[in-house]
Amino acid sequence: METNPIITVSGLTKIFDGGFAALNNVSVTVDKGEVVSIIGPSGAGKSTFLRCLNGLEERDRGQIIIDGVPLDHNRKHRLEIRTEVGMVFQSFNLFPHMKVRDNITLALRRVKKIDPPRCRAIADELLEKVGIPEKADSFPQNLSGGQQQRVAIARALAMNPKIMLFDEATSALDPEMISEVLDVMKNLATEGMTMLVVTHEMGFAREVSNRILFMDNGEIVEDCDAERFFSNPEESRSRQFLSKIL
Amino acid sequence: MKLVRKNTVFQILLFAVLMVGLGGLFYYNSVNLGYRWQWYRIPRYIISRNSGGSLVPGALVKGLGMTLLISFISLIFATIIGLLTAILRLSSSFAGRMMAKVYLELVRNTPLLIQILFTYFVLAPLFGMSPFLSAVISLSLFEGAYTSEIIRGGILAVPQGQWESAYSLGLSTVDTYRFCIIPQTFRQILPPLASQSVSLIKDSALVSTIAIYDLTMAGQDIISKTFLTFEIWFVVALVYLAVTIPISVLIRSMEKRISYGN
Ligand SMILES: Nc1ncnc2c1ncn2[C@@H]1O[C@H](COP(=O)(O)OP(=O)(O)O)[C@@H](O)[C@H]1O
Ligand SMILES: [Mg+2]
Repeated sequence: METNPIITVSGLTKIFDGGFAALNNVSVTVDKGEVVSIIGPSGAGKSTFLRCLNGLEERDRGQIIIDGVPLDHNRKHRLEIRTEVGMVFQSFNLFPHMKVRDNITLALRRVKKIDPPRCRAIADELLEKVGIPEKADSFPQNLSGGQQQRVAIARALAMNPKIMLFDEATSALDPEMISEVLDVMKNLATEGMTMLVVTHEMGFAREVSNRILFMDNGEIVEDCDAERFFSNPEESRSRQFLSKIL
Repeated sequence: MKLVRKNTVFQILLFAVLMVGLGGLFYYNSVNLGYRWQWYRIPRYIISRNSGGSLVPGALVKGLGMTLLISFISLIFATIIGLLTAILRLSSSFAGRMMAKVYLELVRNTPLLIQILFTYFVLAPLFGMSPFLSAVISLSLFEGAYTSEIIRGGILAVPQGQWESAYSLGLSTVDTYRFCIIPQTFRQILPPLASQSVSLIKDSALVSTIAIYDLTMAGQDIISKTFLTFEIWFVVALVYLAVTIPISVLIRSMEKRISYGN
């Protein structure tokens, strides 16, 4: 069955100042509803890849099309992609001077121009969904790391994105808080959200995602079914990585 | 315990002796010079009665009013100019960055007095500006340059991740500054901005050179009529102190108090 890919990346190259190629001619497509785990050693270019997808990082060569919209210098295209692609960061990046609810509703109010009562309802619904409805009026600094990251997910979801990017969303968390965030991500995956997840959680990668991109040296070394990757990886670099990490 | 206490008492005594000594020397020299102190003539320049018998502000208080008015208006414009300049310097527009840079270099490398005179004698005739407007414009531009550095430092101290999450939520640059970045700079920039307002009040004394009847001008004016030179300059200095010291104290308490949550 042919499906229209929701993400099309071709020939993506990113060269940082000093001539270092963090991404080297990367091409990949992702279909709607796919949950893709991106794994690989530190410095492989995983974060850079995610950040290029929503334009947070400017690419040097190549093409990116998100849900039919090319990511180019057209401001309308860019804004459309920014709002349709949600992103969750390792360091949460909540706005510390705003209550949890205001963190979630800010973009609804300012970008989507939704009226305050409706914003409030959306925020409360999302907080319910990530399991912390009672924290709506708290400030981020009074929340645990796991709670902050769940707020960050709720905030990204508020824009009703078609794609969610997670860049090591659990790496900054204390071990006992990792599962509460992974559970939220798992639920999202079950609901059919298209997700690209940079992670070191091999359990999540294996059980929740249906596809693995193994990256090294700015390239996608292996791109295959999750189960296959863990049971019988094709590339020697993948095998080496797995033997080190498992 | 006791030793420390004794030492403190000694220090206070020493301080008092030194102060009285200095004051005495001061007075002795002024009398030697033949200066006749006439403090009794001073109160009328602070507050006086008009012909009807009701209390009206004296010349020094009127001057102080002008000093405060000019400082307040200039403070508002300096903050706006400072904010815009800081944002221009951080913008991706080359023209914007250059404009900001040229403005900052010009203002910071010429004396304020020259800027005030230049505005009054060159720009004012060209653009039909009153002395008051000339004073406000030159003070605002001068203080704005320093304010912009304070605000720029505050903006740069906001973590990069804040920009990134605002970007990925689709917020415009203006909204990102307005709702995410600027509010986070307050804690850092309010104390130095308040100090800047103290500088502004002090610097505003220079506008007396362009026929603005501020506190300094009022002092000079009274002296030229009465020759109460020593008394008036004493009082003028004290009035400046009476305004600036409370602000400075307020800043110190403010530095400890701003925080969110908890
Ligand atoms: N802003 C930057 N400037 C220069 N080099 C960078 C920058 N960001 C990342 N890099 C480099 O690009 C490479 C890939 O980085 P990154 O995408 O963060 O890797 P990963 O997320 O896989 O650990 C690394 O070698 C890193 O040092
Ligand atoms: Mg990374």
